[in-house]
Amino acid sequence: MIEINDLTKYYGKAESRFKALDGVSVRINDGEFIVILGASGSGKSTFLNVISGLETPDGGCVAYDSQELGNMSEKDLTKFRRENTAYIFQQYYLLPHLNVEKNVRMGADLDNNKDYLKYIEAVGLSDKRRKFPSELSGGEQQRVAIARALAKNPKVLFLDEPTGALDEETGRQVLDYIIRLHEEQGFTMIMVTHNGNIAETADRIIKMNSGKIVSVTENTDKKTA
Amino acid sequence: MIVSIKDSVKLFGISIMTCCAVTVCNMFLNYYLDLTAIAGLIDNPYAQMFYDAQIMTSKVVCAVSGGCLAITTVVMLFFYIKHYIDSHSKEIGILKALGYSNFKIAKGFSVFGLSVFLGCFVGYLLSFALMPQFYELQNKDGYLPELSIGFHWILFFLLVIAPTLVFALIAVCNSLLKLRQPCVNLLKGIVKIKGKTKNTKDKKTFVAEMRSSVLRSRKTLVFFIAFSSFCFSAMIQMSASMKDLSSEMMGLMMLIIGVVLAFTTLYIAVTTVIRSNQKNIAMMRVFGYDSADCKRSVLDGYRPAAYIGFIIGSVYQYALLRIMVDIVFSGVEGIPEYAFDFLMFFITLAVFIVVYEGVMFAYGQSMKKYR
Repeated sequence: MIEINDLTKYYGKAESRFKALDGVSVRINDGEFIVILGASGSGKSTFLNVISGLETPDGGCVAYDSQELGNMSEKDLTKFRRENTAYIFQQYYLLPHLNVEKNVRMGADLDNNKDYLKYIEAVGLSDKRRKFPSELSGGEQQRVAIARALAKNPKVLFLDEPTGALDEETGRQVLDYIIRLHEEQGFTMIMVTHNGNIAETADRIIKMNSGKIVSVTENTDKKTA
Repeated sequence: MIVSIKDSVKLFGISIMTCCAVTVCNMFLNYYLDLTAIAGLIDNPYAQMFYDAQIMTSKVVCAVSGGCLAITTVVMLFFYIKHYIDSHSKEIGILKALGYSNFKIAKGFSVFGLSVFLGCFVGYLLSFALMPQFYELQNKDGYLPELSIGFHWILFFLLVIAPTLVFALIAVCNSLLKLRQPCVNLLKGIVKIKGKTKNTKDKKTFVAEMRSSVLRSRKTLVFFIAFSSFCFSAMIQMSASMKDLSSEMMGLMMLIIGVVLAFTTLYIAVTTVIRSNQKNIAMMRVFGYDSADCKRSVLDGYRPAAYIGFIIGSVYQYALLRIMVDIVFSGVEGIPEYAFDFLMFFITLAVFIVVYEGVMFAYGQSMKKYR
């Protein structure tokens, strides 16, 4: 379980200083699929970065099963990320000089996972495992990023606009892959998006505006992959 | 235009390299030209033999140090241009998309000639500052007639003006070649993979694979790392021998040049490899790789090149001094016996290991900030 209490985060200095997160509190259960919705600049990506430990908050705390991120040293935080989390970004951030298989091994090696080829297969890229990122389409690159993230068997998967750089059809396919793998493996999934349609597949929808949570809605009509 | 004078200043590595080359070359060439002016005043066989040795020394030193540093400067210039185009590919892509010709963009790279001018000019002035002492030392036994320092315009042209123009031209031509790629590739920042066939063994771990890929993607840096340790090894060991073979001043000069060149080149190489892998390091950190893993992936692949460079430097300095003693100064009185100084070799090696590994450790620690 992830407990988030009264998170605040500021950016800028002096007159240009603004509050990106303003007293955000929420509890996320194990295995849940949470979608964070909000307009551009609402603080949703900052929220994701802070709860995943990529950024430190200026106030408040984030605790994973009573392990507080703020109390962790740099070394502990690295170990925490290694053992618990994975990230999927809008821009994929694949390593350009490594082929699909080696990119996926980046995640797999952290968990000593020798069975990483099944993730490449799961995202439908078995025939392209020797290709380099520059030889793949945007959708395929994002699928590699998914396989890379899942190959480390994360307990929590963070996704920042994973379909933001893709066309509607490809974005839907990528999303289907993610949701199917979430249903199969049962990890916690927290996704930031501004696409309201994606929210239909989530367990809960958190809406943000001006750095605050404006609503948390249970999705009773959840769609499956 | 896209390349500004400010960018040229960033090429301080080239300035330092050319400064060292011109300092050494101008001192010896000026001395050479002044020596040739007194050729008719030599009146005894000992003086003639000493005179011939001095002439030969000047030629050998200029050819070896000038040639070696000039080649390294060209490689460094090529490297800078490639790195500049890679890191500004989007801006260049936009210019091309707007209709700028390759030549119009490449012309801007002539600004890089300024960094060569800066280095050459400072080196030229520095050599004149050192010349009085240098002339005195070269003729400390008084074999040759009194020698005054002359000013030779031809050397100013050859060592300052000509390199500036030649390097500006090389920069334009090289950038023209590098710009010959589709506009869309530049705009998207698509990385051209040369090692497509190198889909290496699946058993290799990610860190090992990453290490090989970093090496393959920036091969020029292997040269720079090797060159850095080559300078460190050769110049420090040679400077120790100079005390007996020439003078303490020559030794000190070599020591300073060697250390400056070694650290400058190492700094350029390591900061470049880290900067160009910044995103990859950040991704590794996001996934939970620690700074030691990142260092192993990005920096450790260069270690063999560093130690090979050190060994080559040791052999090179021994061979060069052997040639000087056995061939150039053969027959000249008072030249001591020369043998490989094992003690100095092991001291230099120990210092090198501490310095190199220390610098790499410090850079590895700096990777903690990426995430």
